[in-house]
Amino acid sequence: MTDDDLEAQLRAALRPIEPEEGFAARLGARIARERALRPPLALRFLWVPAALAATVVVALLVAHERELQVERAGLAARQQLIEALRVTDEKLDLAYRGVNDAARRRAAGDTGV
Amino acid sequence: MRTVKLTALLVPALLAALLAPAAQAADARLALPDFKALEAKASDSVSVTLDSSLIGLAARFLDPNKPEDAAARQVIAGISGIYVRSFTFDADFAYPREQVERLRQQLSPPRWQPLVQVHNRKDRNDVDVYVAVEGSRTTGLTIIASEPREFTVVNIVGSVDLEKLHQLEGHFGIPKLNLNEQQQK
Repeated sequence: MTDDDLEAQLRAALRPIEPEEGFAARLGARIARERALRPPLALRFLWVPAALAATVVVALLVAHERELQVERAGLAARQQLIEALRVTDEKLDLAYRGVNDAARRRAAGDTGV
Repeated sequence: MRTVKLTALLVPALLAALLAPAAQAADARLALPDFKALEAKASDSVSVTLDSSLIGLAARFLDPNKPEDAAARQVIAGISGIYVRSFTFDADFAYPREQVERLRQQLSPPRWQPLVQVHNRKDRNDVDVYVAVEGSRTTGLTIIASEPREFTVVNIVGSVDLEKLHQLEGHFGIPKLNLNEQQQK
């Protein structure tokens, strides 16, 4: 095959072809149909605010649960603290009473009562 | 060479200075036995272990409008640990005296000083109150109370204000003794 033959074949293959009758109208109608079927932009990205809202709700629920856990632990610690101080107080009271009794007995002995 | 020697001296000194407060506070904490056997024998037991973080958490939930909470808040200022073990028994002296003695052995001078020792033969109860002293301030308080049917150990770590502890009287269901009034009479 000569260069001229190749060029002739290429020219034949790449020659401009006129579209069929009504091609532009069919293409326009198809584009319009597909555009009509496609949801609007706002609807297409509706999942974004929905996902954001779901994330916020989950985060709030987790934070609330954590707060409840801290509150439960805090109330238990408070209860333990009060109990510890009650026992401490009770035993100090026992010691104070013992000291006081001894002092009273000494005072009574001193005065001859 | 000199720098290396100085560093070798300075690093341990700095570490010692940094760790000293923690070591002091830790010294006021008693090595409490686990009392498992005692707990099994007891008809009622109280076990409280509160470190500084739990005390801080508890403090957040104290209601300043409640008298007992307000009193507790005052008492815990400066306290970094509260450890209580209390056992009640159905029979007299069901607890081993050796454990009590082993605890007492930890409370030796110079760190621990006996503050009050009450030995009541009639009621058969012994109450020993010890304070841990660092210089002029108290860094801990321990109470060992042995009664015929009750054995209690209280170990408080931190600067304990005995006056404030005494002010607890009248709260927590403990009747007010009015010691001062009685002394005046």
